[in-house]
Amino acid sequence: MLAYITRRLVYGLVTLLALSMIVFMLLQLSGGGPLDRLRLNPRMQPVIAQLTELWGLDQPIWRQYVTWLKNYVTPSEFAINNHAAVLIAIAAASAATYAIARYMKSHWKGAAILGAWVVAIFVIFSNVTIKFNWGVSFQGAGDVWDLVFGRLGATLRLGFSALFIALLIGIPLGIYQAIRQYSFFDQLGTTAAFIAFSTPIFIVGVGLQLIFALYFEKWTGVKLFYVAGMNSPSFSEMTFWQQIGDTLQHLVLPAVSIALISLAGYSRFQRASMLEVLHSDYLRTAKAKGLRRSKVIVKHALRNALIPIVTLVSLDIAFIIGGAIITETIFGWPGVGRLYITAIGTVDYPVVMAIVMIIGIGIVVMNVVADVLYGVMDPRVRYD
Amino acid sequence: MTDRPPPPPSGKFLTTVEEPSESPFLTETEGIAVEPITQWDLFWTRLRRHRLAMIASIVLALLIIVVISAPLMQSAGWIDSPVERLVDDGGRTLRNIAPRLDDGTVNTLPPGEEAVPASPTALIFGSDDLGRGVFTRVIYGGRASLTVGFVTGFIVALLGTVVGSIAGYYPGAIDQSLMRFTDLVLGLPLLPVAIVVGRILPEMAFLPSWIKQGPMGIALLIGFLSWGGLARIVRAEFLSLREKEFVEAARAAGASDRRIVFRHALPNAMSPIIVQTTLIVGIAIVVEAALSFLGFGVPPPTPTWGAMAAEGGRLAVRGFWWELVFSASALVITVLSINFLGDGLRDALDPTQTIERK
Repeated sequence: MLAYITRRLVYGLVTLLALSMIVFMLLQLSGGGPLDRLRLNPRMQPVIAQLTELWGLDQPIWRQYVTWLKNYVTPSEFAINNHAAVLIAIAAASAATYAIARYMKSHWKGAAILGAWVVAIFVIFSNVTIKFNWGVSFQGAGDVWDLVFGRLGATLRLGFSALFIALLIGIPLGIYQAIRQYSFFDQLGTTAAFIAFSTPIFIVGVGLQLIFALYFEKWTGVKLFYVAGMNSPSFSEMTFWQQIGDTLQHLVLPAVSIALISLAGYSRFQRASMLEVLHSDYLRTAKAKGLRRSKVIVKHALRNALIPIVTLVSLDIAFIIGGAIITETIFGWPGVGRLYITAIGTVDYPVVMAIVMIIGIGIVVMNVVADVLYGVMDPRVRYD
Repeated sequence: MTDRPPPPPSGKFLTTVEEPSESPFLTETEGIAVEPITQWDLFWTRLRRHRLAMIASIVLALLIIVVISAPLMQSAGWIDSPVERLVDDGGRTLRNIAPRLDDGTVNTLPPGEEAVPASPTALIFGSDDLGRGVFTRVIYGGRASLTVGFVTGFIVALLGTVVGSIAGYYPGAIDQSLMRFTDLVLGLPLLPVAIVVGRILPEMAFLPSWIKQGPMGIALLIGFLSWGGLARIVRAEFLSLREKEFVEAARAAGASDRRIVFRHALPNAMSPIIVQTTLIVGIAIVVEAALSFLGFGVPPPTPTWGAMAAEGGRLAVRGFWWELVFSASALVITVLSINFLGDGLRDALDPTQTIERK
């Protein structure tokens, strides 16, 4: 399996290289350069020459690309703040891996190992200062690494909330539909999923924003949700509960807009997977043994029907990123997606490249995680 | 109770010799001619049973007719120009027009500007803030969406089938290299890359203007980014077909590669190709609309549903809801119809296949 993961990661690296080359070349093809705005002012001539020299814009494209790539992967700052914590995290994760592999007996083994390493990596990164030389924004927004990572938290908050909503509603919905197959509720759910599936995210987003944030307040005078932003300006003066309420009032609408299509997909998928299990032989055996219905459904059916969802969720990451780009624009969410749109509008190469690569890396990693998780949860899957 | 006579043989499957039939497949056995049921008959019977798919095909057919005949309807005076203002005979803008000013004053034409006479359908959906008829723009917006949908579908079907069948038919180095390339294309994030291309497309001086300015460029872009899934499906289909007895028999009988591919393998791989292409058409329409919504799609003043939804959203904040509602409905109804049709086609062609998400 290690050989399989390594091979997938190598392919992933090749894909990332191709992605970076394609986007870099495309950005060069655009007619106006990043200094176009300055050219309007004739007195800016020396500044333009200086910046062209500084950013190497007069060099051939391939040399610019190589310089960019070298800078992108070279850490400009690296320091371990707490050696003990890092060592303990690595040791603990290794020990946990050994113990789980040796003594744990369920097929969730792999998931447990993965979880241990996720925790370890989190601990390691919180005790390490690392920074890459991703360049400086051409539009004067400062260092690209700081800019992007300052925005990443907002996007992750939005993306994970959307995923949470989609799973929380989609999976029980699919299970219920499968148990009551062909009932009125099942038919209704199927139709609703189809409609949700065919409605583009931006229509959901604009619709929710208008109805629940704007018109609702106009009609009833009650402020239910905010139109835009991530927090109110007076956020720091609020009490803890007020802060939670304020966060939710900003978060729910954009998260639901992203979640709706995923939710429809999960419920359909969960329904199909549950139906397959419900019609299997071992389930008939479980019923024939005289087990209680609830036990048959929860212990025998549900546990196996949940496995395929794992892959779907991991592969959904690309979709959620795309959704985040659109909803962040609609709801004025200060995340990476909106930064991406702004940067593309002003042809800010370093920012665009940094974000494209983060998206690419996220997709590659999640694809590998999906494959591995699927394999460890379903022992019938083999890697070769 | 009397015994009811047996029902008369249905004309479809069982015909008597009295009925004249020109079918060359008619075989005669003891006075009863049996018309063989073709694959097409089976497919058609199953598709007709899918009521939503039938409604969807009617909706789509109507849409295609309306969209294709839009310039004809415009020259006949039934609808207006999609880029010029609507004006009534008195030179005043029509009611239902979203005023450009927030105080609700009616926006009148500046002096000296050509007044364009409004058509009888001008008032149906109101107008946007520039005084252009929403009805006309929804119809013309459909041209952009459907062009993108069908051109993308064509590219994806062509590339996906060619790459997938070559990879599936020639295992080894060719298969490996083609599939690595497919993985690479599948690894490119569609929307972020499409936004970059959409942004710089109008600035690419070396491209002909029908690619730069129209929906064709967007269609080519989406098509070249999204054939990977179909190629994988076709390859898998070919790999399993290679091992089937009838293909082996054909090979033993001395059939050429070309004959095996076109007469035996490809017809059997047709169902996933058709279903997947239908779904891609829907996805392409949504992606184009999203690009236009973000401002990186077909440049204005060409109307597209995505751009109209963006514009309509800004108007709806001030209470002028119609542009948003009508453009969004057109988009949702179209995509919904395509997805229903895809669902029906899947049920009719291959009941075991599951939907693939992108």
